[in-house]
Amino acid sequence: MFSAIYIESEIRDHPRSRAILKRYRDLPHIECERFGQVFNRKAQNFRMQKQYPALILARKHGRKVLPAPAGYGFEAGQSHYFSHMLNCIYDCRYCFLQGMYRSAHCVLFVNFEDFADSIRQSIAEGGGKQVFYSGYDCDSLALEPVSRFAEFFVPFFAQHPHAVLELRTKSTQISSLLQMAPSPNCIIAMSFTTEAVAKRWEQDVPSIEKRLAALARLQEAGWPVALRFEPLLPDADPNAHEKLFDLAFTRLDPGRLHSVSTGLFRMPTDFFRNTLKLYPDEPLFARETRTENGVVSLDQSDREVWLTELETTLFHHIDPASYYRCAD
Amino acid sequence: MIGGVNLAVAHPLEAKALLEWFDLEEIEPGGAFRCYGNSKGIALVISGMGAENSAAGVRFLHERQFPGFRAWLNIGIAGHPHAATGHGFLINRIEHGRSGECHWPPVPGLGLPGCGLITVAEPETAYPKDVAYDMEAAGFYAQAAGLTTTDLVHVFKIVSDNRENPVSKVSPQQVPELFRNQESAIRKLVDHLRERSAAFTNWYEIPAEFEMLLHKYRFSATRKAALAQYCRRYCALGRQSRLNEIAHMRFRDAASLMTTMRMELALPDETGEMSR
Repeated sequence: MFSAIYIESEIRDHPRSRAILKRYRDLPHIECERFGQVFNRKAQNFRMQKQYPALILARKHGRKVLPAPAGYGFEAGQSHYFSHMLNCIYDCRYCFLQGMYRSAHCVLFVNFEDFADSIRQSIAEGGGKQVFYSGYDCDSLALEPVSRFAEFFVPFFAQHPHAVLELRTKSTQISSLLQMAPSPNCIIAMSFTTEAVAKRWEQDVPSIEKRLAALARLQEAGWPVALRFEPLLPDADPNAHEKLFDLAFTRLDPGRLHSVSTGLFRMPTDFFRNTLKLYPDEPLFARETRTENGVVSLDQSDREVWLTELETTLFHHIDPASYYRCAD
Repeated sequence: MIGGVNLAVAHPLEAKALLEWFDLEEIEPGGAFRCYGNSKGIALVISGMGAENSAAGVRFLHERQFPGFRAWLNIGIAGHPHAATGHGFLINRIEHGRSGECHWPPVPGLGLPGCGLITVAEPETAYPKDVAYDMEAAGFYAQAAGLTTTDLVHVFKIVSDNRENPVSKVSPQQVPELFRNQESAIRKLVDHLRERSAAFTNWYEIPAEFEMLLHKYRFSATRKAALAQYCRRYCALGRQSRLNEIAHMRFRDAASLMTTMRMELALPDETGEMSR
């Protein structure tokens, strides 16, 4: 999975670093002062690096909890996000991360306790219900066997029942969750696209069947699970989304889902420009696009009609009250 | 697609085995630096010793090549406190001893042993740190990284001296032998870089029709950039043959050509895929 492990000198002896270095004892261990010496340097090529990414172990300095972008998640109070990782082990062609970073290496911040302090502070200052999204700059669970992220944060959030944690993932790494008592304020939200889109544009991601099986196991164990049909990309098969919905709601109990959402393909203009430079040969980005309020999306003349049709299909399976449309 | 790889060495004795393995012939004899090349996209420059010479050698070779994506590889001998002579290292951290500036060459996962390195101005005899010591890599890397993506710039060093076998006892005649003992590692690295630079060329090469159209019409800088993008979009959408037809058609001027291309690109795919 990784070609090398870079370690910031100051966290070399951190227990989490030591455990990870032990796990990857056969890979080169390369020490650096700050992760920025290796990550996101000028003239790095994300596409090339994605073929042999490294793992960088670092300490997160500065602000650790940030306001979630408007319209990012479900409406349940103040929304925040925090990133214990930068980048993702999967390679989804539509992902904004490839336009955000010049580097495809994964950065794992090992000072979870500092994140927990910041979250505790946000909860105390915010008042009322607050939602914390962990899968904005990474996949929340994909590196769980290495990071033990959920193993640390789920029990932490269990102590703060007025706060909600969303683990956004495409991973089937659910062992650590299944070993814990389900936590009603920790939602495991899994993203899905149609089968053709997944096969074409989601490299290294577990199959739809495997992901649904993992979600079903979590649901059976009592975890709140959620579905994110995102990004919605047009498919050659006009019934592809209907088939995906049928499959998902056959495998899962629709009545016990925390929420279901949809979102179109969209990317901030700068990130899209960078992504287009990286993948000038990618048909997805060669299509007509439109830019509104600094966000690029595919130019679909009947977009609103299409979305409404998809929502109507969805509402055959779920209560509209559990549905939201991610900001477009 | 053949990928280009430029090799940089400090001394003719370091070049000897490489010239044989890759059938490299001297090009432009009599220049400031001796340069070699073959028909398979591999070139070599002998820069002389020292970081500044290495950087100048890289620049010299680059200025004599056609534009294109090429990987760069510095191969040479180095000292190490305890690694056995003849041991080869793919360098993963380069520190310029004088300035303290650091570079981080990529680790491509080829299974080659890795090591940090400090570039010094004079041969190192005390080997104070657990790293390799050379006299060129920092200059080489800083220069080559400015010419391509840093993901295509590597340094491979072969240990010629250590605490038990000090640099004063290294005979120049040993150098080609040290290289020959690392033939498989060097070939593996060169093959990897050829693949990578070929991939790069495939990804980022502008279709030939772009040049054809540039010669037929007059474009402003903005339109020229848009034309390159349009040509790439035709190819990405699988419409190369239509792009070729357009390149052979006659338009009133560049604006008329661009309007046609823009309108065609807005049309949905004939296959219906992603046609919404």
